[in-house]
Amino acid sequence: MAEIKLKLKKEYEFPLEADTITPDAFAGKSAADIKKLTVYHGNEEKTIGDFFDVTGEGGELNEIKIIVDGNLSNVKRIGEKMSGGEIIINDNVGMHVGNNMSGGKILVNGSADDWAGAMLKGGELEITGDAGHYVGAAYRGNWKGMQNGLIKVKGKIGDEALTWVNGSKPAKRFPTLICGAAGSFLGIHSHGGTIIVEGDCDRCIGADQVRGTIVVKGKVARILPSYKKLGEVEEIELMNGDIIKGKFTEYSGDHSVEKNHSKIDKKTGEISNSSNGRLFVAA
Amino acid sequence: MVAKKIRTVTDVICPFCGTLCDDLEVDIDIKEEKVIEVRNGCQIGTKKYFASNPSDHRYDKPLIKEKGSFKEVSWDEAIDKAANILIKAKRPLLYGFSSTECEAQGKGVELAEILGSILDNTASVCHGPSLLAIQDVGAPTSTLGEYKNRADLIIFWGSNPVHAHPRHLSRYSDFIRGYFRKDGRNDRFIVVVDPRNTHTAQIADIHVQINPSEDYELINAIRAILRGVEIDADEISGVPIEKVKELVETMKSCNFGVIFFGMGLTQTLSHHRNIDAAICLVRELNDHTKFLLTPMRGHYNVAGANQVFSWQTGYSYSIDFSRGYPRYNPGEFSSVDVLMRDEIDASLIVASDPASNFPAASVKNMFKYPLIVIEPHHTPTSVNADIILPPAIAGIECEGTAYRMDSVPLRLRKVKEAPGECLTDKEILEKLIEAVKKKKGE
Ligand code: SF4
Repeated sequence: MAEIKLKLKKEYEFPLEADTITPDAFAGKSAADIKKLTVYHGNEEKTIGDFFDVTGEGGELNEIKIIVDGNLSNVKRIGEKMSGGEIIINDNVGMHVGNNMSGGKILVNGSADDWAGAMLKGGELEITGDAGHYVGAAYRGNWKGMQNGLIKVKGKIGDEALTWVNGSKPAKRFPTLICGAAGSFLGIHSHGGTIIVEGDCDRCIGADQVRGTIVVKGKVARILPSYKKLGEVEEIELMNGDIIKGKFTEYSGDHSVEKNHSKIDKKTGEISNSSNGRLFVAA
Repeated sequence: MVAKKIRTVTDVICPFCGTLCDDLEVDIDIKEEKVIEVRNGCQIGTKKYFASNPSDHRYDKPLIKEKGSFKEVSWDEAIDKAANILIKAKRPLLYGFSSTECEAQGKGVELAEILGSILDNTASVCHGPSLLAIQDVGAPTSTLGEYKNRADLIIFWGSNPVHAHPRHLSRYSDFIRGYFRKDGRNDRFIVVVDPRNTHTAQIADIHVQINPSEDYELINAIRAILRGVEIDADEISGVPIEKVKELVETMKSCNFGVIFFGMGLTQTLSHHRNIDAAICLVRELNDHTKFLLTPMRGHYNVAGANQVFSWQTGYSYSIDFSRGYPRYNPGEFSSVDVLMRDEIDASLIVASDPASNFPAASVKNMFKYPLIVIEPHHTPTSVNADIILPPAIAGIECEGTAYRMDSVPLRLRKVKEAPGECLTDKEILEKLIEAVKKKKGE
């Protein structure tokens, strides 16, 4: 295992954009080479060496383990587009951590700012504190957000997590979010995401959900009028086949979304559950 | 022959609100170069013309703050100092642009690119959420003339044109007679959705008095009812379910409907998601009848700022040039957010007054660092600036292009000369670009 340690040695005045801190960029490089990689500070191009002490060296991509220490709360884009290896961040971290990653693992021992794990395509992002808005969300104007992988947040996340999440059972893509509590508009425009909230949720969850599963083990501030109550269940089968046990009230929806997606029989008024999103709230 | 004392300019475009009325007549006192009469304009538009006359509130020479008070300086000195500030800054902010013309806006983009700065316009605090929603789900919209000639159902949602766009009602949406609406107001059904009993609500056929910040739920319910879903609730967002159903019927049965939405929808809880849902609703209504929507843009050329920024950078607002190429992310690069996080080390404000409408904490941060304004009047922003560059007012003292709220470009007219040493916004920005380039050795 090739371990590389980065320790912040200099305070930054402006957000530091460090999308070069990834196992992909470090692979096969010596500490001296790693120090030469570019970071952006305000409108200036700097290097990793200007801000960090670097020890160790990079080997094979999947063998690499990067450990980052120091005040990282406004260091953005760590782990961007990474495809393997591991990053451990021992502080609160700035925006866009692990965005677009397709493999490997990031562990944040602290909280993350907005857009953590945005558009995740694979791999795992774990945050031991809270996370900001747009966790695992689609960037502006994108119709396909998170497509695979797992995001785990121990604490509370902000609004609009997993917007436009896009999973597929036949293609075995199961984008999943597990979090302690969540803000509003969780999983808006979901097309097949799996979201499990251990605690409470704010309003408008599952808005415009076409397909997907949302499980809330706590309370929901206000369920949208377009969700239909179906009944009580004691067991939920998730898209990837996992089972969650417990007493839940099942709803289907969002029934306000375009008719081609969720099906209501015009004559009988019956809802076809298979093509609809599902919402389970602890009974 | 008696010398003429008054010059009258006709077909003048009003550079105040997004309605961009194009029929004003302005009388100018030739000797004094002063506006003495404005015909056809509404109260707020007319005031802008009178406020352009030289007064204690109008700047007519470049000013630099020294030891707490302003000193008149030459243009060369002011531009030199301003360029120094901008070059030294590592994260400058260029903000405003919505109350000037498109050519000046284009120069703003050029300057931002050279500086590697953040570039933003006032959409950031008004209809930015509409743009976000449009990027997510598109927008079925049209020009105002179509509504005038065809619309028989007009919905003002979270907008109050009687006060914000006074002549919108008489020119496009309410009282006006159109080709298929021969009887004007009598041929139209007006609905206002607003928590307050506004003056627009008072002249409507129905006022849907909704709970504040619950618009999303109401639109959501309307969409569900439209699709035949039975909703088990007595009321939605404070509106009895029967009334909601009636509203859905009204929408379905009109010939041509339109939603004009304002900041009551974009800047209340749910922001862009309100618009997202409203757009989806309009899209789905087109299964039953013809339905469109149009944002009630505030500043007369904020739509133009979005157009110019979009065609030059690909993005309509909240743009960051720090890496040499444009990137876009409202929340990350939007002015209020960068100021709140205290990430800016100098600002250039063009044709805008953020100190009056940004959160106090963000304004405080802006005032901590060098501040340059291109601003014709005394404003809470300008009086706290370090350098004031006085411009001619676009659409009154210089020509230019502006985009109406429906994105129709119109040519602004010049009706009089600017006072003192004022230059146009475009000229000032060109001078800044030249000075910055020279200092950077480009
Ligand atoms: S409605 Fe707007 S554009 Fe028309 S005169 Fe009034 S302020 Fe000017």
